[in-house]
Amino acid sequence: MVSIKLYIKTNEVDTMTPLKQPGSTYKSRTRANVLRLFRWNAAWLAASALMALGPKFLWNKAPLFTLVAVAFDIAVGIGMVLANKDYLADLDELQRKVQLNSMGITLGVALIAGVPFTVMDKYHLIPFHADIAFMLIIMSLTFAISNLYGTRHYR
Amino acid sequence: MKNRLKVLRAERDWTQAQLADALDVSRQTINAIETGKFDPSLPLAFRVARLFSLRIEEIFED
Repeated sequence: MVSIKLYIKTNEVDTMTPLKQPGSTYKSRTRANVLRLFRWNAAWLAASALMALGPKFLWNKAPLFTLVAVAFDIAVGIGMVLANKDYLADLDELQRKVQLNSMGITLGVALIAGVPFTVMDKYHLIPFHADIAFMLIIMSLTFAISNLYGTRHYR
Repeated sequence: MKNRLKVLRAERDWTQAQLADALDVSRQTINAIETGKFDPSLPLAFRVARLFSLRIEEIFED
C-alpha cells in the first residue's frame, strides 16, 4: 500500500511521467540504505573489536570498562539490526525475497552446523575449541553463496 | 504465469530501466517478471496495470 501512494493517476499511456517525488527513486533509496547499513556494520565491527581486545590491551581487564564496552557493543548491534530491517523493508519484492531466502538458509545452516559442532567439541572429537568465530565464518559464507545464487537465478 | 510486459514495454519503446523507475522496482525485477522467473505481487500487478492503463488480466494470465 505504501508504494501505491508514490504514484499519481495518469491518463497518458505513452509517456513515462515522473510519478514519484524527486530524489526518491528506488535506486537512490537502496543506495542510501546500503550505505547506512554499511556504516552500522562497520560501527558494530569496531565496537566488537573494542569489546574483545579492550580488556587486554586498553584497560587491563577492569570489569567496569568491560561492562561498558559490552553495553556499547549491544547498543550498536541493535542499531545495526534496525538498519538491516529498514534496508529489507525498502527493497522491492524480488530483492526482498532473495535476501530473506539467503537469511533463511543461513539460519538453517547455523542451526544444523552449530549443534553438532558444540557436541563434537564437548566430546573432544575435533582438535580445536568450538569458537563462535567459526560459526560467524560459516554463516557469512553461507549468506554470501546463497545471496549470489539468488541474485544470479533471477538475473 | 505468462505476461505481456515485454511486448507492452517494447510498444512504448521503453527500456527495462525506465519501466523499473516508473514502477519503483529494480531492473532485475522487471527482467525476472518478463522472463517468467518471478510472479509479481497483487499490489505490483495493479501498479503495472495502472501504468499501462490496462486491466490486470490483460497483462497477466495463468
